[in-house]
Formats: sequence, structure tokens, C-alpha cells
Amino acid sequence: MSSASSDSPTLHLAKRKLRDDIVLEEDNSKRPHRSGNNLQLEEWNVPADTMVALRLMCDQFPKLEKVTVQPFVLRSQLYSSIKDRTTVDQELEAFRKQGTIRVFKLNTGQDDFAIMLLDNYLFQLESAKKRMESKHGQDPTLVFDWFLTNVINTNTQVSITHSELVMLLSKGGPVADKHISLLINAGLLVRQLADETTYWFSIPNVGPILKSLTQGRKELLYFLSRRRYKEIFLSQFEKRGLRTSSLGVQFHIRDLLGSGKIHVVHNPIGLLIRLAG
Amino acid sequence: MWRELRQREAGSIRPSLLAKHACYRRSRSLQLAKRKEIVSAHKSGVNSLQIDAAESRYLLAGASDGSIAIYDTQQATHFDPSSQIAKHEALSTIDRRTNEGHEYAVSSVHWYPIDTGLFVSGSFDRYVKIWDSNLLQVELQFKMPGKVYAVAMSAVASAHMLIATGTEDVRVHLCDMASGAFTHTLSGHRDGVWALQWSASSEWVLVTGGCEGAIRFWDIRRAGCFLVLDQHRTQIGQRSKSASFIHDQAGTSNGMNHMETNSERGSSFLRKRTAHHTSIRRPEAAKLSRQHPGLTVAQGVATAHYGSVTSLQTTYDGFYLFSAGLDSRVRLWDMESGCNTLINYGTTRIAGKKGLQLSFSPDGSLLFVPSDTIIQAYDVWTGNLHATLKGHYDLVNCCSFHPLDQELYSGSNDRQILVWAPPGGTSEDLDPQTQVQADEDNWSD
Repeated sequence: MSSASSDSPTLHLAKRKLRDDIVLEEDNSKRPHRSGNNLQLEEWNVPADTMVALRLMCDQFPKLEKVTVQPFVLRSQLYSSIKDRTTVDQELEAFRKQGTIRVFKLNTGQDDFAIMLLDNYLFQLESAKKRMESKHGQDPTLVFDWFLTNVINTNTQVSITHSELVMLLSKGGPVADKHISLLINAGLLVRQLADETTYWFSIPNVGPILKSLTQGRKELLYFLSRRRYKEIFLSQFEKRGLRTSSLGVQFHIRDLLGSGKIHVVHNPIGLLIRLAG
Repeated sequence: MWRELRQREAGSIRPSLLAKHACYRRSRSLQLAKRKEIVSAHKSGVNSLQIDAAESRYLLAGASDGSIAIYDTQQATHFDPSSQIAKHEALSTIDRRTNEGHEYAVSSVHWYPIDTGLFVSGSFDRYVKIWDSNLLQVELQFKMPGKVYAVAMSAVASAHMLIATGTEDVRVHLCDMASGAFTHTLSGHRDGVWALQWSASSEWVLVTGGCEGAIRFWDIRRAGCFLVLDQHRTQIGQRSKSASFIHDQAGTSNGMNHMETNSERGSSFLRKRTAHHTSIRRPEAAKLSRQHPGLTVAQGVATAHYGSVTSLQTTYDGFYLFSAGLDSRVRLWDMESGCNTLINYGTTRIAGKKGLQLSFSPDGSLLFVPSDTIIQAYDVWTGNLHATLKGHYDLVNCCSFHPLDQELYSGSNDRQILVWAPPGGTSEDLDPQTQVQADEDNWSD
């Protein structure tokens, strides 16, 4: 995350400027003793500007041991820190069209999207290429370069039709079915179930994380629903942790806050999370 | 309020502006009506509500027990002096016992747009029936191929009297009231149709939303549909006059983003799929044969929602379209450009196995979305939640906004029809007791 660390002075400036719009920060500032808990106050101070929030959340992406996936952010997590969802959507759309971020549809829910900064995605692409090179040799993996120069740079959508893919790839060289199979094997493309002629773009090696995501969500919601008042203190919950997910409590709570499945209630003892509805 | 009245008297503000401000304030202060109650005649969940367009007076309700009732929203049938509540009982009721009444749940009811002499009902017993509202008898009925989920008539039609019906069947059938026959069969959806709506600006344009998540626009004078909405085709907010919606730079350069070209490519691919298995042909080499534009778009697979489209609602001016889907999202579409306006209406919970009914205030500032057991009122242009209306005990199915009184009527699975009104209602100004009596004859001789 070299890009984010170089930005950090501006990050702080932006944070100050946009204090008013911040949902969580206002209430945090009223409770100074919160900083004693293991969840640092600083971690919840997420600024309003979408890009700043995005970079910050990328920095806070959980460190995973087994899987090598570059940090990404769920769209619902952005909603959890920025009140005005319309602005988030519009800014994300603008960034997507500029090509600074990539948006991926996830199969974990009907309205789940992952957002990755383009640099991180390119890094991921490179590592996927290296992995495939070791298996298949130099020659067929040329398709990764074609994919990078012709497809990623021109198509910023979440999905691509087969014919468009072939057309764009063939700018690089003669495309065969095995090339596309290679891209699918590397996890860069996923076939759409509803429509066979279209592929989703995807993050390579993201599978274990998605498993963690769905199971962690389920565990958290189930845990809350089993409690008498459907609520728990955040600090208490953080001590307990999640068994089925390696993504960490903060990741899941942000996700569920944004998708409206839980609420955060501020009270004098600390943050309370409560099941919605 | 008083200052504005004075200003109007002095001529410093226009009368229309005063009315607009009053409507705006009233529609933003809705709460459960304290002085008005609709006594539900239904023994099961209320699925559909509509206020007639001619007088804005009669409320039509269809319920899951197959009953249909008409309520008068203006004049109460009786008045309870102890609780000061004006009760509105059903003026007339049709249920299973009525001759030729619906056997199963009534999913959708619709007033004849010209007057209140007729209304249309669609039911899960596969029938669409046209009723005479005075005699309460069936004038005409259509047998559909599956459960009927939605019926709609065009409010602006002057040259046709077609009832569009959305059923379990993938095809949308148009029933002609004048001849009693089916005139059109619109095929394009790949699953049942739960929501449909005629355009408010053109009598020939029909919008349908299918269970596969697609929203299709049909011009009934031509074959095929002419537009499939795509959620990833976007513009930011309201379209200004200079058509400043963002073009996908990469997309437009090779024409990919343009819907028609896109689906044309898709269709050419469909035809040549067999060829792809052996060797991939260059699409440049594949010369596209000329096809009817309607047919090419008909094969487009773009989706507006991930999950069924449960509800469609056009604005009064016909420029925008609201859609709700089972992915629990509500979207606002620009009807002219067919773009998603990217306004995010927070977290709604849209569930159920049938269509919903959205509603919005006529000044176009508030959108009411039934979400689980509550109704959420959103600001149309910012997507901010303005208010939550809590009162129902079960899933809310429908809501209907009274355009003149600024009242909201909502029907739910708890069998109730609730009235939401601004706190200082119009009916409070009059003595409700005299209001009840006003309908009776008052001759001296």
C-alpha cells in the first residue's frame, strides 16, 4: 500500500474537513474512554469522501495467512461509514469509469459488490499470471498480457460478453478457446449462471475469503439472534471473535451495518450492536 | 401558513405556490390518522389498493381471500363520538360468495381510468374480470394461462382500451375491453411477470418487469420490445437539458455500451454458438445480418435487478420510473435515456412471492416503499430516508397516495387498511358528525 501511505497527510486533512458528514465519528468523540478498548478509536474514524474511505478500509483489510489476496472493500462497508449512499454510488461509478477502481460482483449475496483499487488488482493479476506460468509455460500465458492491455483498460464494467472478450483479446494475437479457459482457471473470469454468453470479472483466489464472508455473516447474525435482547457490546464481541471467519469482527460489522442487518447503538458504556428489525 | 396566506393576499406569492408549499408540508408530516379509520372488510391480507383517478374519492381494495371492496375516502359511513373517529366502511364488497366472484386471492385491482363505473381485477384463479361497480356483476372475463399477478390500464389512453396483464406465463397478454379478446402477446421475458405499468406520457408504451430481473419497454404498435433496462448503464441523478449523463468512455468508443449494438452482438453470438466450440471466429468477420430492431433487443439479457422485479411505478410526468426488486433495492430510471440514475434508497427489505405497490407524492418529492412491516418514505432525489411509518403488524403489500388530500393508504397481510394523514387534517376542520350527515337528504317538506 505505497499509494495510501504517501497520501496520509492529505488523508488527515480530508478527515478534518469532512467531519460533519461522518456517522460514527461524532459519537466517538464524545466518549474519550473508548480509546482504552482494543478497538482503537482511530479505526472507526472513517472520512466521508468515498476514495479516502476506500483507501482507509483497504489499509485496514485483515491480514490473512493462507490466502494471498490484495485488499478489497465491500460496497456495503462503504455505506457503513458514509451516510449518503447516493454519493457513494455516484462517486464509485465515476471512479470505475475513470479506471481507478475495479468493481466485482460477488456471489455471496444478491447485492454484494467488491471494490478493489486498480493497482492492487494489477498486482493480483500479475501473481495469477506467474502462478499459471509455472504450470503451463510461457506461451499460452501471453493471454494475460492481452487481457491486461486490451480488456482491463477498455472494459470497466462488472461483466463482459463472450464476443466482446474475444474481440478485445484478439487485438493482442490469435485467441483460442484454451486461452479463455486459462483466464477462467486463473480466476479472472467467472461464467454467469443466468446467461452463458457472459462472464463476470473476478478476483483470483478470492474463494476462501468469500466462504469466510458468508459463514462469518451467518455466525454473527445467528449469535445475535440467540441473545435475549438481540444485542451485544462491541468490545465484548471482539473478545469473543468469530470462529468461522478469518476476516475479523470489524470487517463483518462494517459489512452488516452497511447492508442494514444490524444497527449500532451508542450508549455510555460503549458501542452496542443490535440486530435490525 | 398564515404568513403565506397573507403574502398570497398581497400578491407577493402566487396561489399555486401556496398550494404547492402546503402540499409539500403536509405530505412530509404523515402519521397514523387519528380521526379516520377504514374498517377493513377483508378476512385476509390486502394485496392491492387504488384510488380512482376520476374523482380521487373511491378506494378499491383487493385481498387474498378473493374479496374486493370499495371504500369512500371522503365521507365516513358512521362516526364514533367517544373516540372521535370517523369510520369508513366498505360501500360494497365482492367475495367468494358473490356470483362469479374470484375463487382465490385477488392480486391486483385497477379502476377504469375514465370513470368509476368499471373496475378490473386479476386473481390467482387465473381470471381477469371486469366489474360493473354499481351492479357488482362481471361484465367481461378473460381466462389467462396462469396466475394473474398484475393488471394495468393506461391512464392517458384515448385510442385503445387495453388491459395489460402480468401472469405466471412468460408472455404478457393485452386484453381488449372493447372486443373481449386478446389483442397482443408480448414475448421476451424468461420468467413470470409480477409488475407492469403503462407509460404516463405515451399511451402506446408499456413497461413490464419479470421475475428474471429484467425490465422491458414495449411499444405496442411494433413487434418486440424496444428497450431493456440495464442496471450498469448509468447516469448521475437528474438529467439536465444538455443530456449530461456520463458516457462510458471506453464503452462508447467501440459502441459496446450502446444497448442495441450490444444485444445485436449477443444475438449474433447466439446464432454462431456452435461454431465457437470448435474454433473462435473473429466477430469482425462475422457479418451481422440485418434484423428488426425490436427482435434484436428482445434477445438482450440485461437485468435491472438481481432477483424478481416486484414493483414498477412511473412518475406523473412520465419522465422517471421507480422499480423495486427482490434484491431489496429500489431504483430510479430515466425513461427517456433508459439509464439507472444511481440514487440509492437505503436499505429496504423487499420480500414475498408477489408484486408490491410503491407510491409517491404527486409533487414528486417523496417515495413510499413497503418494506417488511413498515413503510419507508424516501426523498426522491437524494435517496435519504425521510420517515418510517410503523403501524402494521405484518408484511405490507401495497400503498397508495391520495393526490388531493395528501393521505397515504396502506394494505398489509394483517388484513388492515391503514390511513396515514398529516396531523392537522382537513377533516378535523369540519365537525365529522355533520360530515356524515351531509350526505343525507335535508328537505323541509
